[in-house]
Order: sequence, then structure tokens, then C-alpha cells
Amino acid sequence: MSNRLREHAEHQYAEELRALAAHDTRLRPPGWNLSPWAVATYLLGGELPDGTRIEPKYIGSRRVIEIAIATLATDRALLLIGLPGTAKSWVSEHLTAAISGDSTLLIQGTAGTSEEAIRYGWNYARLLADGPSAAALVPSPLMRAMQEGKIARVEELTRIPADVQDTLITILSEKTLPIPELNSEVQAIKGFSVIATANDRDRGVNDLSSALKRRFNTVVLPLPDTLDEEADIVQRRVASMGAALELPAEAPALAEIRRIVTVFRELRSGQTADGKTKIKSPSGTLSTAEAISVVNSGLSLAAHFGDGVMRAGDVASGLVGAVIKDPVQDRLVWQEYLETVVKEREGWKDLYRACREQS
Amino acid sequence: MQHARHHIFGIRHHGPGSARSLRLALEALQPDAILIEGPPDAEAVLPLVAHATMQPPVALLVYAADRPRDAVFYPFATFSPEWQAISYGLEQGLPVRFCDLPQWHQLAEVPDEAAEEAAAPLESEALTPYTVDPLAWLAEAAGFSDGERWWEQMVEQRRERGDLFAAILEAMTAIRAEAPPPPPREACREAWMRQSIRAALAEGYQRVAVVCGAWHGPALVDLKDKKGDTALLKGLPKIKTQATWAPWTYSRLAYASGYGAGIESPGWYEHLWQHHEHVASRWMARVGRLLRAQDLDGSSAHAIEAVRLAESLAALRGRPLPGLPEMNEACRAVFCFGSDIPMQLIHTELIVGERMGAVPDEAPSVPLQQDLQREQRRLRMKVSADFQDLELDLRKENDLERSHLLRRLSLLGIGWGELRSSGGTGTFRETWGLQWRPELHVALIEAAIWGNTLRDAAGNRALDTALHAPELPDLVAVLNQVLLADLPEAVPALMDLLQERSARTADVAQLMDALVREDRITRTSLVSSMRYGGVRQTDSAALAHVVDGIVTRICIGLAAVCSSMNDDAAEAMFGRIIAVAAALRLLQNAEHLAAWYQALRRVADMGGVHGLVGGRCCRLLLDAGEIDASEAARRVGHALSQAAEPPQAAAWVEGLLRESSALLLHDDLLWGILDTWVAELPADTFQPILPLIRRTFATFTPAERRQLGERARRSPTQVRLATPSLGDAEFVTERADLVLPLLDRLLGLYE
Repeated sequence: MSNRLREHAEHQYAEELRALAAHDTRLRPPGWNLSPWAVATYLLGGELPDGTRIEPKYIGSRRVIEIAIATLATDRALLLIGLPGTAKSWVSEHLTAAISGDSTLLIQGTAGTSEEAIRYGWNYARLLADGPSAAALVPSPLMRAMQEGKIARVEELTRIPADVQDTLITILSEKTLPIPELNSEVQAIKGFSVIATANDRDRGVNDLSSALKRRFNTVVLPLPDTLDEEADIVQRRVASMGAALELPAEAPALAEIRRIVTVFRELRSGQTADGKTKIKSPSGTLSTAEAISVVNSGLSLAAHFGDGVMRAGDVASGLVGAVIKDPVQDRLVWQEYLETVVKEREGWKDLYRACREQS
Repeated sequence: MQHARHHIFGIRHHGPGSARSLRLALEALQPDAILIEGPPDAEAVLPLVAHATMQPPVALLVYAADRPRDAVFYPFATFSPEWQAISYGLEQGLPVRFCDLPQWHQLAEVPDEAAEEAAAPLESEALTPYTVDPLAWLAEAAGFSDGERWWEQMVEQRRERGDLFAAILEAMTAIRAEAPPPPPREACREAWMRQSIRAALAEGYQRVAVVCGAWHGPALVDLKDKKGDTALLKGLPKIKTQATWAPWTYSRLAYASGYGAGIESPGWYEHLWQHHEHVASRWMARVGRLLRAQDLDGSSAHAIEAVRLAESLAALRGRPLPGLPEMNEACRAVFCFGSDIPMQLIHTELIVGERMGAVPDEAPSVPLQQDLQREQRRLRMKVSADFQDLELDLRKENDLERSHLLRRLSLLGIGWGELRSSGGTGTFRETWGLQWRPELHVALIEAAIWGNTLRDAAGNRALDTALHAPELPDLVAVLNQVLLADLPEAVPALMDLLQERSARTADVAQLMDALVREDRITRTSLVSSMRYGGVRQTDSAALAHVVDGIVTRICIGLAAVCSSMNDDAAEAMFGRIIAVAAALRLLQNAEHLAAWYQALRRVADMGGVHGLVGGRCCRLLLDAGEIDASEAARRVGHALSQAAEPPQAAAWVEGLLRESSALLLHDDLLWGILDTWVAELPADTFQPILPLIRRTFATFTPAERRQLGERARRSPTQVRLATPSLGDAEFVTERADLVLPLLDRLLGLYE
């Protein structure tokens, strides 16, 4: 086992990808490592004829994944939109791993992302010495993806300033990247495409221009539909992350996970699971990803300071921290929830007491 | 196909693909008679299908002659295979018959109690398929999530026709071999179909085409067991039924009635029916046009990409052509940027599509229609598609009845006339805007389930609405409508309901709303109906009982509900208290008023009451003479004393004076109290209190403030604290009478 904190998808699941490729008899679009069907199986899980189990990477609507794959198969760029923590980057990483076998051609979008980061930069020592030449050019991940016929990922597209975003327009429609300094261009090899992610919760983001929007097919990743689905997601992710972190704790009981997920869902939707009581929602997003990290931190507390079994006391601090993002408003919301819902609920006394001690 | 002389065409109701295949198959077969799964009750009106003005979507309506509430609708669109079979038969001059178990038997079986329990009788159970969907088994075997999709792909999307119907029959035979035996009603239906086929063959027809739901196909092949069928059909109850055509709309095609399940996407089906080729590109082009018409992005480039996405999605899912789910997903991803809102537009405009059918005038009409036509003739009201104004003077008998008619129609959800505000405050004048729209025709036929005459139907419908009214004020709104529509039969039941609901309602605010809830335009409320029953000649005795109950409950609960309110709640309560006070003053019932003022006093005395409410209670008591000036002055001082929280005190002043600058100007009493109180304030108290009072005065207009200022300058503190109110004792009738002749002249009452 390598000592890297986190492996790239294509390494972590190399075995599955190999098995899928071996059994994949369907037509592969040019430049693709797998056929669209195999990509769908890789993401959604399944079993191969030889009995290899493919672990589901995305738990949720099959429809969403199918649209995403079909989009990439038509050489269109894909835009994944959703609330924070709805597995946008996760899906994009696994899609690129399955299709191109390489999830590292990544541009992280920030307010400071410049045009050079998207197109190409220069090795200035070289530039000053020899003048503009292909050798002095420092290609961006996007440019490399075009040259190699792979899929490039742009994270948090809406955080990139609007004028820089528009650099993508020509690349996406003409599939060429002009290099006026060298009087040449890079033409994309078949298999090239772009997966961008953006979240629709944060304020102050740079909305896409309609010209750029038109070049993307948009897929909205929803929050998990049901409690069972969400608890399943949390359990799977915690199990795989726990293995990577080599925590000595026991895998958490599903009941404990369901409890945390219930708290998250109830606060998020503003009503109790049975729909009988209205409650206030805190300012945070309370995504599934946060539920996962609450369980993870609970697990590590239990492993290092407890008896190795995750109990209410171990998750309480993580839970309080996840819910209370605004120290004034959210604290009130949380306390109201504790007193009116958690306290009354059958079998939740331990959680109530643990949370009371925290706050 | 079969060796027999009858040929079975198993179709899917409303399936454009099977309609097209059926048409081709009929042309190939050249039958000499056509039997169609449908109610024989309607055979008399079948020839109307070929009428020039008949335009689908339309529905066959079959109802029990003496109980029109028991009705079954068989909707047809152009793309319905049955419709195509009928038109083909009529074009060729062939005998076309319906061969399903007649509704004169089916409707006869509906027991009377069951009719009531079926709240929406439209969803008659008459023809629903088995509880288990047998097609789902085939679909499941083929790896599809539901039967409909499977049928669409296997049958409707097939490009090569081949011997389609034989294959369907074979598949159905295979499933039916595994399926449980049909329930008795289904067995009867199939027996009847067999009997009809036998009859047609006995008449000597050589090539009989039988068009039926695919599921029934296998049961109709073998005609040997004639005896068994006769026995099965023996002794069925029978009633008299009538049938007619009614115009239908696409959105109503979704209703499940007649032919089992309705369809969700008539617009899409029509598109499939009209265009054999380039279905996806034409559809996306339409989506683009639709969005552009709404000023949304929808360029040709979008359409191209959407088609590509839909096709690759279909390929990914292993389908020969993209279906509606693929189309929708592609639209959402390409046109709508993942948003649902434009998708809703696409759904209503294209997928459902608003299309309205038309039927020839010769089609027989339902009793409710006949009643309406009778009434329209009697009251000399013209039906016109143009917009016209109708001025009614309710003092005239004919006009009053016209108003009743229009109100009954609107109770039934038939918006022929729209009541508009007539501008004046007179209660005897009404202005209606009349316009007859074709969809009202459908609404009328649908309303037929409520009764045979407008009067019965409106009453029943009102009771039903009242039963489902979520809140007490909604119930009162219904009651107001019923009183205005002159439906005295419905009133006692509504009163009972109101009595019961108000007894159960713990919410005093709702009771207050109920008491004063006004009709938006006529401004009638429970109270005004009771007080001014006059013009509309409504019976107020029953009303009085209910109003008594409500007032008593309000007076008891008022204090409790007024404690601990936040600003918003106090604001709402402020309005309610004013409205109730006005209503009770109007009613002039001494008992009510006594209880009311007692309740107000309790609220005013209460410690924790919100200032806005407390101030207004004090004011109402003062206006009514329940407390005298010195008492009022004491309360003002008390509320504004230094110990009071400033916001609370400011709210109190606001409650006392809001929107009463004119009154303050002209009412010596109120003026005196305030003036005295201000004058008596010690100088160092005056300053902190000034902002509180200013907050209220700032709401008055500058002109009002100036006048108030002038008045303050004019009359220094010589104030009469004696109450100058106009008691009845001081009222001098002779003096008042002197004014009357002048008033008459001003109002033009006598020339």
C-alpha cells in the first residue's frame, strides 16, 4: 500500500478499470478507454461476467450519470452544477479516470485564476534567451488534454473571473487553441473534452456568459433522495476513507450513521422526517460530504481517545461544528432543534446529552 | 393473420404508433365490418365522427339517464387507434360497431352508496385493467422499468411494420396463459365482445376487423364456447343510458376514465403522429421556437446539440430512437441549463399541449346543458364568444335571477361571467363581464356530475367545496357565495358545518376573520348579509345563530390571544379588532356589544399586551363611551409613563391614534385628552417622550400636521373634559328633519 494520503481514482480503482476494459466489447468512442456502457457501470457499480464486483462510485439517479456520459460521447463539454457536497468533483474525477484513464489534468478555479492557467504560460528564462518558441511554452493542463485527446477538468468554474472564463469559448466550439505568438495553434485530438463543476449556493460567483453556457450541457447533481440512500453513501465513503487512514476503530454501526444523516436531512429540509414538525434551517449547506466528515472525525475520536466504537459523544463535537456555522443564528437554531426534536425522540437521549455538553 | 373470418388488432389506447400501424393494416385487410372496443350505448352518435365540424380531442360521454353523475368518458385524440378505425370505417361506408360490454349493464352495477364514496366519479372503475399490469411482466423480462416504455419501444417506435398485430396477439397469449383468470367484470366484457363478433359473423360479414386493447386480443380468438358466454351474460342488471360527444382538451386526456389509463403526454403523441421522420429534430426545433417566444435562449445551435445528446442517450440506453425521457433530459441539459422552470413551460406547452376539440351542434346535450340553455332563454341572456358587459339592477326580478344564474355557474367553476367592481357603494348594482369560451363547454359537462339542474349542481358543489375548505374563513367565503347565489337548500347544511367548525376552532383570529371576511367585489360578509339581507332576500335567522356563536367565542378568547404578540402578530390583530368592532357596531346587538366591550377592557387592562393593540382597545372603548375622558387620560398617562419601555409606549400611542388625524382635529374629546396630558407633563419628562409621540404624528400627512399645529395654537388648554358625545337622549328629531328636504334635493330623489 502506498503511503499517499489519497490515491487518484485511476490508481485506487485500477483493478476495476482493467477488468472492465477486458470485458468491454462495445463500441468505444475515439480516444476513450472504455465504452459508454462500461463507464456507466464503473460509476454506478455492477458485476462483470467473471464475477468481479464493481463498487458503485455514485449512488443516486442513473439518469444523471447517463446524461453526463452521453454528453461527453457527443464531444460536448459537461457542466456539473449542484450544492456544495453533492459529489460534483467526485463524479468528474471518476468520469475522467474511466474515460481517459487520467484524472490529473485539472485546473482549480479561483478568483485569481488567470488566462495563462487556462491556455499556456511561458518559461520566461527561455523566452528571454531564445524568443518565443515551442520549447519556451508551458502548456496548461487544458492544452495538454487537447494534445493528448483526454478530458480536462475545471473545478469551480464560476469562481474564475468572467473574462478569463470566456477563454474557454473558442476551445470548446472550435476545439483549437490558437498560439498567436508562434503563429500556430493546438488542435484537439479526438477524445478531448472538458468537465467543469460549479456550485449554485455561494454568492458573489461569476455567472457564465450565455455564449459560454451554450457550449456546455448542464447536469444538476441532486441531493440524495432518501434517508437510506444518503446513509448508504456516508457508510461507503467512510469505510473507504477509514481504510485509507488506517483507523483502528470498528466500522461505525449503520444506526449511528442513520442518526447523523437524519439530523442533517431534517435541518436541511426544515422539517422533521415524519413531516409533522417544522424546524428552522441553519445557514450552512449540511451536505452529504459534511455528514461524511462528521462520521470520520467521530470515528477517529473513538479510535484514539475512546474504546474504538463510535458513540454519541464522539460524533457530538463534529455534529455541532458542522451545524453551527454562524455563531449567533445557527446556535439558536441548533438549540431549538436539540430541545424540541432530539430530546423528545425515542432512543436519542445519549445524543441529546452529548450535544448538550458540547454547546 | 388468423384463419378465421375475424381479425384481431390488439392496440394500445391512445398510442400513435399503433394508430398508424392499424390504419395501414386496415387498408391492407379491406374489412367489410369493424368492431371496436367501446360502449355500444354510443352507436347512435358514432356517425357524427365523420361530421365536418367534429374535431378531436373529443370524448364520448355515456351516462345513466336518470343519474347523470354516473358517467364514463371515453376520450379520443386524432392519434387514438380507435378514432382512426372509426374514421376509416365511416370513410369506406362500412358498418362500425362498438363491442364492449355496454354501459347500460356496467353502470347498472354501480351500487348507489358507492357513487357517493367515489368523490371524483370521473375516475369510474368501469374499465380499469386488472390490478396487476400484465404488460409489466413482458417489459420486466425485456429489462425495462415499466410496461409503457417497453410498449413504446417495441411497438410504437418500430419502423418496419411486418406482421405486427399477429406478433402482439402471440405475445399476449403467452402472458395470459400465465396470468390469473380475469375478474368477473372483465370476463363479462370479453364474453360480450365475443358475442358481438359472433353476431357480426352470423350476419354474413367475411372480414371482420376487431380493434381492442391488446390485452383482450387472445380472449377473442376462440368463439366456440357460445353457451358459456350466454350463461355469463344472463341476468345482468340493466338501466337506461344516454351518450353524447363532448369537446375535450389535451390536459384532460391525462384523466383516467373510459379507456383505463389516461396519457401524460398528448402533445408528444400528436407530434409522433404527425411526423414519421426526423422526430427528434422537429421536436427540438419546436422547443427552440417556444423558448425564443418567451425570450429565453433557444437557438438552432441549442437544438442541434439537444438532438445529438438525445440520440446518444438513446444509444447509451440501447434504444433505436430517443423517446420522451431522452428528449426531456436533453432539453434540460442543453436548453435549460439544468433548471426546472423552462422545463415546466415545455411540459405544459409542448408535451401536454393545449388543444381543444370541437363537436358538431347536432351532438345531444347533457341535462345540465339543457337546463342552462333553458335558463338562458328564460332570462334572455345571449351566449356570445365576444366580450360584453352586463349591468344588473338587483331590484328587478329578472336581473336578480340573472345574477343568481351567473353566481351558480361560477360556484360550479364555469366562469362565463366575471363580476367586476361597479365603482359605487350601492349594493343593488352589479356589473358582469360575459364571455363564452369553448372550454366552458367542457367544464359544464364535467359539472354534470354534481347534478341535473344548475340549482342542484351548484348546491352540491358548494357543499363539497365547503367540506374540503381548509380554514374557517374559506368556509365563510363559500357560504357568502351560496347566499348570493340564492341556494337556500344548501344553507342549513353549511350552517351546521360552520357551527361545527367554529366550535372546533381554537384560533380566535380565524373566528374574527370568518366574521368579517368580505366578498372581494360585492363586499358582503356574514355580518352584512345579516344586517342588509334586504336586496338579495336572504334568510337571516339561521345566520344570526351562527354569528352569535362566533361573537361569543371571540369575546371569550380575545384576551388570551392578545397576550404576548410580536409586532407582526399585533399588526394583524390590530386590523382584526378594528374590523370586528366595525362589524359589531353595524349589527347593533346589545348583548354582543356588551360582551365585546368587556373583552376589550380586559385586553386594555392586561399587563403584557402589545402597545398597538392595547392603545386601540382604549380608543375603541373611549369612542363607544365605555370609559370617560378622565379614565382615558389616566390610561394615556399610564401607558406613556417613564417606566414603560419606549418602543412599547410608542406602539401604544400609534394604536391609539393611527389613521385618525382628522378625528383628532375635530373630536374635542380626544384632542382634549391628549392636549391636557401633554400640557401637564413635567418639562424633563416631555423631552424623552417627544420622540415616541412624534413617531405616530410623523405618519400623518404634512397638511394634517399643519392643521393640528394650527389647532394647538388656536385653542390653548381650555378643554371640556365633559363627554360631548351624541347620546340618543340628546338627539333632537325635529332639527334633524329640517335637513331632510335639502338632502333629498341634493341626492336627486324627488324632482
